[in-house]
Amino acid sequence: MRIYYWCIAAAVVLTALAVLFVPGVDDFVEQTVLGYVGRAAR
Amino acid sequence: MFGLLLIPGTAFLTAAAKQRFADGPNQVFSGGPLEAGELHTGPDPDWSVVSDVVTIEMQLLDPPLSRRIWTAEFDGKLYVWSGYMGTTVGRLWKHWPIQAERDGRAVIRIDGVRYERQLVRITSGDVLDGITAAITSKYPSLTTRAGVEAGDVWLFEARPRN
Repeated sequence: MRIYYWCIAAAVVLTALAVLFVPGVDDFVEQTVLGYVGRAAR
Repeated sequence: MFGLLLIPGTAFLTAAAKQRFADGPNQVFSGGPLEAGELHTGPDPDWSVVSDVVTIEMQLLDPPLSRRIWTAEFDGKLYVWSGYMGTTVGRLWKHWPIQAERDGRAVIRIDGVRYERQLVRITSGDVLDGITAAITSKYPSLTTRAGVEAGDVWLFEARPRN
């Protein structure tokens, strides 16, 4: 169980760093959210 | 399971926070101040050009955050609005109309040109018939004069700032 939490923590940190610094990741997040919002609006 | 939800949640919150430091909004998240683009001076342009523009970028001076919003022109004047203001969800979701009523100084950016504006809320008058007709002919919107007068839709004229 402890490993699971460490993995989640690492994934959260990596996700934040990727969105901040890897080109295109923030665009991917934006498009994903837009897709969900668009579907919900229909 | 909750742990796994943290990952998309982190992505969402990080992307939203990152956009706050950008020049303008994207399609989802509010952005920072509008900095790029020529600042228009002189008489207002012919606002009928916005009939071909789906959204514009609008920033309030206080707080200096920007978002994409719909706009319409009627009788040579420019209008922006916010719906769902009569609902609790709308009030929680949309802060800019309340902020704009407090301090209407704004900057809008259309096709890369920035315009200094003063947002003035309009709540009544026969002009609402024409404005709401312009809105519903441009967008799939159910905005009505009654909705504006009831406070469900907050409508602002984007006047030139002196």
